[in-house]
This record gives sequence, C-alpha cells and structure tokens, in this order.
Amino acid sequence: MTLDELKENESAQIVQILDEQLEESMLNMGFIVGEDVKLDRIAPLKDPILITSGLNYISIRKEDAKKILIEKTKTS
Amino acid sequence: MPGTYSLNPEAEDERVAANTIKNITDDELIIVVADVTNLKRNLFLCTQIIDLGKPVVLVLNMMDLLQKSKQCIDLDKISALLQIPVVPVNARIKKGINELKEVITNYKFKPTKLIALTATERYEKITTILLSCLKGGEANKWIDRTKKIDNILTHKIYGYLIFLSILFVIFQAIFSWSAYPMELIEEGFSLLGSLVESWLPEGVLSDLIVNGILAGLSGIVIFVPQIALLFAFITILEDTGYMSRVSFLMDRLLRPFGLNGKSIIPLISSIACAVPAIMSTRSINNLKERLITIMVSPLISCSARIPVYTLLIALVIPTEEQVGIFNLQGIVMMGLYLIGFLAALFAALVFKWILKSKGKSNFIMEMPIYRLPRWSNVGFSVYNKVKVFLFEAGKIIIAISIVLWGLSSYGPGDTFEKIEEKYASPAYENESEDEINNLIASEKLEASYAAYLGKTIEPLIKPIGFDWKIGISLVTSFAAREVFVGTMATLYSVGDEDNTTSIREKMLQAKNPETGDRLYNKATTFSLLIFYAFAMQCMATLAVVYRETKSYKWPIIQVVYMGALAYISSWIVYTIFS
Repeated sequence: MTLDELKENESAQIVQILDEQLEESMLNMGFIVGEDVKLDRIAPLKDPILITSGLNYISIRKEDAKKILIEKTKTS
Repeated sequence: MPGTYSLNPEAEDERVAANTIKNITDDELIIVVADVTNLKRNLFLCTQIIDLGKPVVLVLNMMDLLQKSKQCIDLDKISALLQIPVVPVNARIKKGINELKEVITNYKFKPTKLIALTATERYEKITTILLSCLKGGEANKWIDRTKKIDNILTHKIYGYLIFLSILFVIFQAIFSWSAYPMELIEEGFSLLGSLVESWLPEGVLSDLIVNGILAGLSGIVIFVPQIALLFAFITILEDTGYMSRVSFLMDRLLRPFGLNGKSIIPLISSIACAVPAIMSTRSINNLKERLITIMVSPLISCSARIPVYTLLIALVIPTEEQVGIFNLQGIVMMGLYLIGFLAALFAALVFKWILKSKGKSNFIMEMPIYRLPRWSNVGFSVYNKVKVFLFEAGKIIIAISIVLWGLSSYGPGDTFEKIEEKYASPAYENESEDEINNLIASEKLEASYAAYLGKTIEPLIKPIGFDWKIGISLVTSFAAREVFVGTMATLYSVGDEDNTTSIREKMLQAKNPETGDRLYNKATTFSLLIFYAFAMQCMATLAVVYRETKSYKWPIIQVVYMGALAYISSWIVYTIFS
C-alpha cells in the first residue's frame, strides 16, 4: 500500500520511494527507507497530510505520498 | 542559514546557503548550528559539510530542551567521533557564547576522514554515533506536546477560526491600539513646526523646513506605530512555529490559484511590506509558484498604503458612523484589504494560465515544534524593519519633499512676479491682507512648475476623477505610496501661513474649480482609494523583484498589469459614484 492510504494515527514502515527526487527530499527531512512513519493528521480539506518519522515532523501532499510504498506494522 | 536541510538544494534559499558553503576557503570557518532536539537530521547536513573537507565547528543549540526532556549527551565523544569541536549553547539566554568565541579563536583546521558516501550510509553512521552519545529521557516529549497543540490549531473548524481571529486581532491592533501614539506624533510635529517658525527668521529657509521637510517627514513618522505592531505580530507568528501550520491549512486552498501553501507567508508579510515578502518566496521550490507569488504579492495592501487609506477614508466617511458594533471607517479599510487579496488571487489565476510550468511542485515542509517567541528576536526584527522604513523611505521622501517644495514655490519665467504685481495694483486695495495673500498663494501654485507637471498628465487622469494636484501626487508616489500624504501636505500647505489646519481639513476645503463642489467627493476619493490599492507604486519592490527574478521582464510586466488594473478599476468606481 502507499502512504496516502493510511488513516490518522496509523503507523507503517517505509518500503520504497518511487521517485528519485522525492526520495532525496524525504531523506533530507530525515525520512529513511526502512524506518517507521506515522500519519498524524490529514488537513481539513483532505490534503496535505502531516507525518512523522522519529523526531522529524513534516507535511507532504497526497500526490507525493502516493509514491511512497509502505507496509503496515502496527496501529496505535 | 536557517531552513537548510542539505547541500543538495531544492529551493532558492538552500541554493544560496549551499553555494556559500562550497566556496569557503581554509582560513574561513563554518559554524553549523544544530537543534539538539533533532540531532539526527541536523548531523546529516553537518557531516555533509565535514565530508566536503571544510573547517567546521558544531554548535548544539537548545540545550535547555535536552535537559528538560531528561536526556544527556556525551559532548567529548561526539566531538571525537566527528573529529570537530563541539560547543553547547543556549542562544535564547546567550549561554555558551563566550566558550564558542574561544573555540573559534583557537581553531586550527585539520582535514578529517570521510564519514559516508551515500545518504543511507550517512544516516546509518549518524544513528550509530547518536546511540553511543545520546542517552535516556523522553525524546518525544516536545514533539508530542506540539502534536497536541496541532490537534487544535489545524482542526477543521477551530483551525480556520483561530487563524481568522488572529488576523482580526492584528487588524484591530493596527487601527485602534496605534491611535494614541499616532496622535502624539502628529501633535509633536505640529509643535515642532511652530517652534521652527518662531526661531528662524521668516523667509525661504523657514518655509523650506516647515512646509517642505517637516510636512513630508511627519507624514511618514506617524505610521511607525502601525508598522511596528504589524511586524511584531508577523515575527511572533513565525517564531512560535504557527506560520507553518497556516501554510499547511492553506495549501489546498491556494493550489487552484497556482500558488503553494508556502505562499501564505509572503502573502501575509505583504500586509506589512512587499519587499521582505518577495525575499521570503525563496523557500518556495517550484519556480512557477514562486514567480506567481512574487507577481501578485504587491497587490496585497501593504503598510505604505495605510497612510493613504487613512487620510482618504477620513475625507468621505465620518468617524462616528457605526454599523452595528463596528466603525464604518474600519469596515471600509478592511474592505480595501479584502479587495487587494481578491485581486491577488485573480491575478494569480491569470498568471497560472499564462506561465509555463517548469519542474514539479511539492509541499514538503518541516513543522517546527512550538516554542514561545523570543522577545529579543521580535524586538530586533521590529527595530530593523522600522529603521529600513524610516531611513530608506525617509531619504526618498525628504528628497521628494524638497524637490516638490521647489517645484511648487517657483514658476517659469516671471509669472510669479506678475501675480504679485497684479495684486499690488489699486484694484485690490479694499481686500484684507489675509485674503490677498491666499489669492496670491493659490494663483502662484497654479502657475508653478509642479502645476505644469500635473496639468500635463491631467487629460490622462481626468476620466478617473483626478485633478492636477492628485496628478503630481501620482508622479511622486511612484517612488513610494506613502509619499502621497507628504505631497498632499506640501501642496496644500504652500501659502498656508499659519500652518494650523491639518492636511485632512485642507483637503476637505478643496473645491472643484469647475463645479464649485467639494473636490474630494465620494467618486474621486473612492476612485483614488482603488487606484492606490492596485497600482504598482513602489521603487523598492520593483528593485527587489528585479533582484529575485534576475530580469527586467518581470518588474516591467508588474508595472504594466497593475497599472492597467488600477486605471480600469478606478474608472469603473468613478463612473458608478458620479
């Protein structure tokens, strides 16, 4: 599944980022393939979303979240 | 440079930082200031710079937060592992600054070992380093608290309500809290004017200082309270981290207009001044979105328009008039801001259709943890912005005031002498001296160089209800909008010997020579208001647009499209109201 399919407060592991440029941007913000990511909040107008990985807390548009493959680990 | 995450830049601000770092020589020193609460990501940039073979000192900031979350860090170990000096500081309370100075003076550069080649490898190394150096505590404490606050501030209803309330408070503050200091300044200048007049012998010099320089200057100083308040609010909103949430809330709304959530920061800053606003567009990494933000920002009513709006609104709307609990003047003022904002959105839409898109757009943006504003930072920013406004704008305004005073006090050839001769003739013997002086003054002004200038462009601006005096103000306002008030003050005080009535009263008394009605009636005044809301009358903004876009094309397009918009809208308004 992809990151945009998560519900609020669901966590998953980043498996792959399908866009090289996006992967680099995410890496700069501290989002690394293999690590956990949590969807914290969906904006009132359903887009963009707020996500965290470790101590990194960023916003990203759904369009980009669609390119981030994830695997569900746990729900909290 | 804050907001730099990597040496592989995506946005203009990161590009500037990356180029600076790459060009640093061995006798210079790079100080990486890292937020200790998110060391992992901050070390990513730091190790990239180390691997470039550049001399680096790592400064760990916000050590207080680390202690509060019961963590501790082994500074010697981290310094040994990275092979660079590490200094802990707390910039908020200036702790550790002396130690940092010492480290910098004693610094000797020795090349270090390469840490990592790929980004993934780099993160692995950093994780290992941090595992051995950073111990214990509740690392997530701050981010958890931030997320709880976000539950309210980005809530689907409260989020927007809070944002609108904050905007409302800012407007209230600007228009009511600043009234008292503004009155004081006005009275102060009036007092100063009469003092100068009593000190100096009557003549050209006294006239120049009182009616030229002081008149122009008071029109500017009076707006310092409003501008200071506005910048204080904007700095507080940015410093606390709230601006990023506003961007988050607005991204989806702004996207259809070819803008980005990040555009909201320049758009809000434009309420204060378009110059810093346009510079802050550097954080928008998509070129088209950035360009559109630059092009439409000057349509948002800036603080330089406040003097013009305040003066003109007071001419046609009585102070006492209320609609419900609201003051009508305030409502008209808010309406002008709204019109500016809507015009900016409309213009953005047009630019979105015309401009070609280059590169992809994204909205990957850090949400900083909430912190209390640093009051010293707020004070510093307000001081700086007010200083720029006073001195940069002030210089132009004083120069223009002097030129204008000259232009309106002298006329071509011997026209002035002829007027004096005419009134010295026996035909006027029965009139009182005051009346004759007034008649001479107004005839002289009409025969002055300034009048020639104004009358040359009068045919062009007549359809939108302006006369030659407004014409002169339009010409001088091209340097900066607030010059309008100074120009009006100078134009109407030439010949006013007692210097008692305010510029507002003088303009109220002004008559249309053809009809004998009030010159500043609703039609002309509203037309002027709309013109000042839309027209591109700011040299400083044009200069910064040129600098940011590196081409003459964009500032020229800006002048033309905003001018056309202003002229057509003013014409429509004038036709409706007359």
